[in-house]
Amino acid sequence: MEEKPPIDRARWRIGIDVGGTFTDFLAIGPDGRVHVHKTLSTPDDPSRALIDGLGELAAALGHAPCAFLPAIGMVVHGTTVTTNAALTRSGAHTGLLTTAGVRDALQMRRGVRERQYDNRYTNVEPLVPRHLRLDLPGRLDRDGCELEPLDPVATGAAIDALVAAGCEAVAVCLMHAYANADHERALAQEVRQRVPRAYVSVSSELLPAVRFYDRLSTTALNAYVGPKLRDYIDALLKKLAAAQFGGVLRIMQSNGGVVAPEVVRERAAMTLLSGPAAGPRAGAFYIAAHGIADAITVDMGGTSFDAALLLGGDPLFVTEGEIDRLRLALPMLDIATIGAGGGSIGWIDAGGLLRMGPQSAGAAPGPACYGRGGSLPTCTDADLVLGYLPPAEFAGGRLPLDMDAARVAIGRDIAAPLGLSVETAAAGMARVIDANMAMGVRSVSVRRGIDPRELVLVVAGGAGPQHCAAICDELEMPVFLVPRQSSIFCAAGMLMSDLVHDDVASLPGRLDQLDPAVVAQRLADLVARGNDMLGQEHVAPEDRVFVPSLDLRYVKQYHEVNVACDPCGAAVADLFHAAHDRLYGYHLRDQGTPIEVLHLRLRAIGRVPRPRFPALDRSTGDANQARLGTRRAWVPERSAFEDVAVFDGDRLMPGAVLPGPVLVDQRTTTLFAGAAWTVAVDGQGHFIGYRADARDRLPAALREVCP
Amino acid sequence: MTAGHDPIATSVLQRALKSITDEMSQAMARTTRSPILCEAKDFVTGLYDAAGHMLEQTENLPILSFSLGPVCKHLVATYGDDIHEGDVFLHNDVFSFGNQNNDVAAFKPVFVDGVRVGWAAAKGHMADIGGAVKGGYNPNATEVFEEALRIPAVKVVDRGVLRRDVWNLIFANIRLHIVEEDMRAEIGACTVGERRLQALVGRMGVTRFAQLRDQLFAATERRMRAEIAAIPDGVYKGEGKVFFDGRHPGSAFTIRVAVTVAGDAITFDYTGTDRQTDGFVNGTLTSSASATTLAFLQMVDPDIAHNEGMIRPLVMVIPEGTILNAAYPKATTFGNHLCPPNADAIARALGGAMPDRVTAGWNHLLCALTTGRDPARDEDYVDICFMGLKGGSGAMHGVDGYDHIGMIDASGGLLDQDYEMFERQTPHRLLRHEYWTDSAGAGANRGGLGVLTEFVIGGGPCQLVTFGDGDVVPAFGLHGGLPGTLNRIALHKPDGSVHVTTSKDLVRGVPPGTVYRQWAGGGGGFGAAWQRAAALVVADVQAGVVSRAAAERDYGVVFVGDTLQVDGLATLARRRAMGGP
Repeated sequence: MEEKPPIDRARWRIGIDVGGTFTDFLAIGPDGRVHVHKTLSTPDDPSRALIDGLGELAAALGHAPCAFLPAIGMVVHGTTVTTNAALTRSGAHTGLLTTAGVRDALQMRRGVRERQYDNRYTNVEPLVPRHLRLDLPGRLDRDGCELEPLDPVATGAAIDALVAAGCEAVAVCLMHAYANADHERALAQEVRQRVPRAYVSVSSELLPAVRFYDRLSTTALNAYVGPKLRDYIDALLKKLAAAQFGGVLRIMQSNGGVVAPEVVRERAAMTLLSGPAAGPRAGAFYIAAHGIADAITVDMGGTSFDAALLLGGDPLFVTEGEIDRLRLALPMLDIATIGAGGGSIGWIDAGGLLRMGPQSAGAAPGPACYGRGGSLPTCTDADLVLGYLPPAEFAGGRLPLDMDAARVAIGRDIAAPLGLSVETAAAGMARVIDANMAMGVRSVSVRRGIDPRELVLVVAGGAGPQHCAAICDELEMPVFLVPRQSSIFCAAGMLMSDLVHDDVASLPGRLDQLDPAVVAQRLADLVARGNDMLGQEHVAPEDRVFVPSLDLRYVKQYHEVNVACDPCGAAVADLFHAAHDRLYGYHLRDQGTPIEVLHLRLRAIGRVPRPRFPALDRSTGDANQARLGTRRAWVPERSAFEDVAVFDGDRLMPGAVLPGPVLVDQRTTTLFAGAAWTVAVDGQGHFIGYRADARDRLPAALREVCP
Repeated sequence: MTAGHDPIATSVLQRALKSITDEMSQAMARTTRSPILCEAKDFVTGLYDAAGHMLEQTENLPILSFSLGPVCKHLVATYGDDIHEGDVFLHNDVFSFGNQNNDVAAFKPVFVDGVRVGWAAAKGHMADIGGAVKGGYNPNATEVFEEALRIPAVKVVDRGVLRRDVWNLIFANIRLHIVEEDMRAEIGACTVGERRLQALVGRMGVTRFAQLRDQLFAATERRMRAEIAAIPDGVYKGEGKVFFDGRHPGSAFTIRVAVTVAGDAITFDYTGTDRQTDGFVNGTLTSSASATTLAFLQMVDPDIAHNEGMIRPLVMVIPEGTILNAAYPKATTFGNHLCPPNADAIARALGGAMPDRVTAGWNHLLCALTTGRDPARDEDYVDICFMGLKGGSGAMHGVDGYDHIGMIDASGGLLDQDYEMFERQTPHRLLRHEYWTDSAGAGANRGGLGVLTEFVIGGGPCQLVTFGDGDVVPAFGLHGGLPGTLNRIALHKPDGSVHVTTSKDLVRGVPPGTVYRQWAGGGGGFGAAWQRAAALVVADVQAGVVSRAAAERDYGVVFVGDTLQVDGLATLARRRAMGGP
């Protein structure tokens, strides 16, 4: 059978990122040209903005929608439907079927109270209330051997009870199902047979790995958000079909890959932390143009700051995380998110120290300077006072900023209590939040034994470009890159994201006693499953890549280090010892301690072609034609206000070089670089900031761009 | 303002230090082998300045954490000039500021440009520490020598070179090999802290670091003193009860505290507390001081940074020779678990002065430790049944108690074993681990729920040690709230006999097939229960954590037949009879 090529380069490809305020579109035409569009989000039904936006995009390009949609080859879509359902507890009415005696594990969360000294801190509401957590006879032992069979009568009664209670989703999670899935499979089949409409989430299908609570929580999350995502995707596919969309739809996952809608429908939990997951891939793309593969990407928006590490052009992964204090044990990008954004509120603690966030004024009531009812001093207010934001032209002139309101808020809540001037207080606010963000950057790099000073900082988000030079200074990073379209970073990243399927197989045993034939067989099984998935998604065989890794630990440790390796190769042990020392301060090579294997993991990747941004004209690199004038702005190196040159980012062309301090106003953001910095425009029109005094520490590839 | 005063840089330093101790904690959790450490997180990590002042800590188990600073200062005093880059020290000695024999700490000095700028430390509960009983907690001990190997401040690594003689001497006296591995993990965590602190101080310079540290301590102290100043001046007295010393059935002891608040100063004076016991139910100076600290910290702003400035205002008088501060060479392994009665004494003392900050009684710890052999794995095991010990916390004004949080010594930092890991790490098989219906003390705010735990003991013959309390008097209610429920552990043997353990028991030769049953009690309620909104009672009845009978008896909520519909008139009448309007 002839495989249909996944992506037709002769047709349009569109990345669509649904945000809280705007839905961003990045479209790449058959000629390779890039078009950007933004439309207001429609939170009640996010698909409306998506369909409407496609129509608006068509109109802007001079096409009729009925002609444009059939010409689209692929839409990659990032959705926060599941994230919002989990955060706002608006998911499905969910029931749980589990082993007798352990139904409360979901609510107990292993008995943790995250804030130990805070007696007002309460437990999280469980996703499944206790009266819908039903336990059943039927038991396996730790090796997966049956101790007690399922009881069909009890099973039937439990399912009937969930149906009677109106459950739309059922989570099935039994003790030791990672070792033997028979009981879970039988239960799931029974549920599906009796209640064909129910969304059934089965632990051994979703996450066949040891640790009951992790699997239970993940399976319940999947059930809880599943129906919402299923309904959303079905409605979206219907709308796209009605609009004569002729291509394929792909959905962004938390692991940074994209996946076919019919696959993710059943694994809804894979999208729970997908919001920031496209960013790192976009970052990799921008630096790849310079032949650089190691970087840290950061995205600073209104309320949160996301940082991720790229090594060798790839983002890094973790095998577990949490959402709203609920455990989610699925592979996801290793992204550090902290509560730092333009809306972060400044305050003085009882000891007289200045703090920023994590409370945020968000978009409503917003920073004081927005004039939308907010009166507390935020990071955006500080940026305005410091001259980093243009009062009149903010957001392309759609939202003029109120300087007086910003000064009043900072004066009252920060400057007066600290006995500082408003300006010094604003500079202090910026410094504290910069330090907070630097901490986030450090946590993704230093924790992995990587020195950030050797990396490039790739900056996105509306508030990122005002702060990136200061973050670099805090971390002694010599260079940053701000993409020309930094505010639609995630939409761009979606178009660069491969199809990714993570799979795992239990492979318990000692590394030195593993039977290579067994390993090879398990790997072959995983590869076959990956091939099935990618085949369903019409990925051509030459675009398929398989990355195996092992979860390893020293014997009798209980947590693993995931080591990417050839599982049958000879270097596994050495790779593990080195990783262990980097992460944990020691290794046990010299003690001869045996190494244990827990899981074999396989990432099946279907490569998609990367967009090619056309080179800009280099002949117009003269910066003067883009100069707008000057603005009084705070120069941190001199702790003083100065008249700082302002340039129009849209008119700056490759080859332009701007000595700091300098401001570059763009339609949706402003870039600021202090006196120690220089900003150069690269061949694609992106902005590269570097410290002139650290030019010798720049990656060689950048020295040409940075004179 | 003083020279170099920089509240912003100070705030930045505090965050940086916290991220380092968190990273050290993560390294410990991910590398240790004993489930006590890697599953339950019975350990702490911290950074100290060159003189041993606390810079920051990550306190999974708070009762362990406030003895690291005193031991660090003791190390500095003991070794003086003989502290070098690359050294590692171990310590557990309870008569030189250690809190408990099984809690063994590693300390690593941190140098920048040849100057000692601080210390990185980690301390965890080791699965064995020698002594008469495997796993520790020898209820028959009368002296420390029957409990544990004493490790005074000992240098095990000298300038980067392992002192094999010392190392071997220590581990020749400890039963389980995993303890040696867990100590390596602890030292690894210290190395992680050393690397990070070196980089941090190296960047700002030693002098600047010292300036900012002083400002951080001063700012934190101001914040703490502001909290103390908000408490009305006075002398407040309270008592807590300890039952059974492990040797004399029926014995009981009283902890007496007088809390004096004068302006922004506070003193906790335990003069008048009962004498030390001749069993192992005795506190050490730092286990008791830790207990006092953590109990008081729960009554102040929880966001105050943890450093020397936080503890400076807390003055304690804990006379030697009392049950809270036993004299050499008394047995003291139980000392950490005098925290619950100590916290009770403080809560009772300050309950009137700080009515919105004090909780009703928390469930006291009662715990079991099983040791034996898992023949299928050909391995020895030591397991503390953390999941079973975690009862409920006390309610407070406006907030229900936290269900299944466990002893106040840990306050929710100590985790249940994962059930599947429990069955893989021991030969036991879990039958049940569930909320215990009607275990929580009723109140306008109810106490936290306790739990029921049942497992079948597997493998070869098992030795079981219990330690704890809470089987004589339940967690107390406050302001009309009802008490919680009692702890109990029972062994249902295959021959049909039932052995109810004491709270400090040593049971040898428990046959496989025995069913272990444990009831961990709920916390005390706050305020009269008839004040509780009926809808909240209905929700608890629907969940099955409050029975219909208890709803009517304790809360005055009457249902229509078997439904969840409230009988409004009957409820009104019943509540009026209970004292309601």
